[in-house]
Amino acid sequence: MAGRAEPPDGGWGWMVVLSAFFQSALVFGVLRSFGVFFVEFVSAFEEQAARVSWIASIGIAVQQFGSPIGSVLSTNFGPRPVVMTGGILAALGMLLASFATSLTHLYLSIGLLSGSGWALTFTPTLACLSRYFSRRRSLAMGLALTGVGLSSFAFAPLFQWLLDHFAWRGALLLVSALSCHLVACGALLRPLSLTEDTAVGGPRAQLTSLLHHGPFLRYTVALTLINTGYFIPYVHLVAHLQDLGWDPLPAAFLLSVAAISDLIGRVASGWLGDAVPGPVARLLMLWTTLTGVSLALFPVAQAPTALVVLAVAYGFTSGALTPVAFSVLPELVGTARIYCGLGLVQMIESIGGLLGAPLSAPTSRPQELVIEVLDTKVSLHKEEGLEEE
Amino acid sequence: MLEKNITLESPSLVSLTCEFTPSGNVTLVNVTWTRGTELMLRSPHAVFADNTVHAQYQFSIINSKQMGSYSCLLEGKQEQRGTFNFKVPELSGKNKPFITYVGDTAVLVCKCPKCLPVRWAWYRSNGSEQVPIDALMNDTYVISGTHSNKTKLKIKNLREEDGGAYWCRAEFQLGQSTDQLDLVVLSFLVPLKPFFAIIAEVIVLMSIILLCEVYTKKKKKHPDDGKEFEQIEQLKSDDSNGVENNAPRQRKK
Repeated sequence: MAGRAEPPDGGWGWMVVLSAFFQSALVFGVLRSFGVFFVEFVSAFEEQAARVSWIASIGIAVQQFGSPIGSVLSTNFGPRPVVMTGGILAALGMLLASFATSLTHLYLSIGLLSGSGWALTFTPTLACLSRYFSRRRSLAMGLALTGVGLSSFAFAPLFQWLLDHFAWRGALLLVSALSCHLVACGALLRPLSLTEDTAVGGPRAQLTSLLHHGPFLRYTVALTLINTGYFIPYVHLVAHLQDLGWDPLPAAFLLSVAAISDLIGRVASGWLGDAVPGPVARLLMLWTTLTGVSLALFPVAQAPTALVVLAVAYGFTSGALTPVAFSVLPELVGTARIYCGLGLVQMIESIGGLLGAPLSAPTSRPQELVIEVLDTKVSLHKEEGLEEE
Repeated sequence: MLEKNITLESPSLVSLTCEFTPSGNVTLVNVTWTRGTELMLRSPHAVFADNTVHAQYQFSIINSKQMGSYSCLLEGKQEQRGTFNFKVPELSGKNKPFITYVGDTAVLVCKCPKCLPVRWAWYRSNGSEQVPIDALMNDTYVISGTHSNKTKLKIKNLREEDGGAYWCRAEFQLGQSTDQLDLVVLSFLVPLKPFFAIIAEVIVLMSIILLCEVYTKKKKKHPDDGKEFEQIEQLKSDDSNGVENNAPRQRKK
């Protein structure tokens, strides 16, 4: 197949968007909704919640650290076989997890095996997507990444339903079957050769050239810093709201509102990134600044309306910066080096993600007052309640 | 009518007070204390200067016979009544069925967060009856925590017949309360059916995708004349746009 001079900006590219949409759903949607399983693991293995949450941490870390491997393999073999292998690994990890007898077993099967599977799917898919589009790249990215938000909505209740009907072993078995769809998504990634590819050389040459590329390195540092704070608010928002006296249900509802706003932000920003002329990096700066501002206002806000507004604002701006962050990279390094570039970025920014969690550990909660019941004295007044002392 | 619920688990000395505002201009009223339908105390009370009546009843609750509903009643044209309901602590009552598989170990937990029963006991259903579980006689059952605020029933090597309703009973000096837990034992075939159904669906999807691709590739290869035409066209466009194609690809904006 002769190399194309220009990315198609459509045509089969939309099928790649579809594939990327389902893949982000099956990788990050599953990771985000895994909290539902943790409650079961805590009682099934009689371990503490902190130890159980390591399963997801290991999975995310392996996915990000393993991204360069996915990139190198994609550059050599094309994205399709790599992503399909990744899908098989991810499903296999879940399958083995359903037979787990200890927490270590889960660390290895879900964390290590599924994590490696995810490393081989996510990065090559996004890189492949950015090669298929140039004018409408941001929009394509935005649409593809909405898969994460939508699936978090769908998977959390779905996983709970699975747990209620099949217990955690059966549920993991079915999540494994669900993850097999990654293989089908991989089949959609038709290879595309662009004329630049021959000019840039093999993966090792690409990696070396990237590591000497000043703008790329600066961009990676910037993304690492963003990544340090990115996941924190979702983790701590509910706890913060409960400390302010909110009930669990409205607090969870606010989180859903932020997630919806995140979704809208992704698509809107994707469309905006393509519609507005000039470098996309300026938009990235805009969204990052607004995200920072909304986060900074959180400790100050007390009134419920203010908190709702801030949650919507934070959701929108943090969602908006995601597709733009991914779109800047191909402009920076060119679509030929995109696989390796994205892999390196994911690996380095994962350091930020790992550091962010311990740095933001919540302060201890105030002790609840304990009232002792010694003797019972009861009196009935006209309007007051009973006093027990 | 005023009513209040009081939770009590161990013998206590109780003092109940009712404050009434009688209607009309009276100086003396009769206040009656009852437990259920049984009359406990009936005595006259003086009405104070601010038109209130202050009635008090002191007694001790030692066993379950003294639990129940106590009422203070002001006799008169307009009957006024207040009721105190004494109950032992109730158990949590979260009733989600517990799903397990054959061969697994199930741990059924009953807890009472704010009380300490004298004793816990476990029962399982046999038809319509409750049969006590004796852990000493049967070693598939292990009961732990019979004298704390949490009790666990561990059932090893589950079989399908082990499914059904289980009860834990918290016994207090002043009564008892029970909670029902449902255990469901599934065979491993149950999730396997949807598992294979989904795998089959994935295989079908992949076949469709790959077949479509093979089909479109065949369509591109077959019209040979068309291919030559395409190549000539491409050469022509390369010639005229040679400069543009050699330059690095720029983002159109």
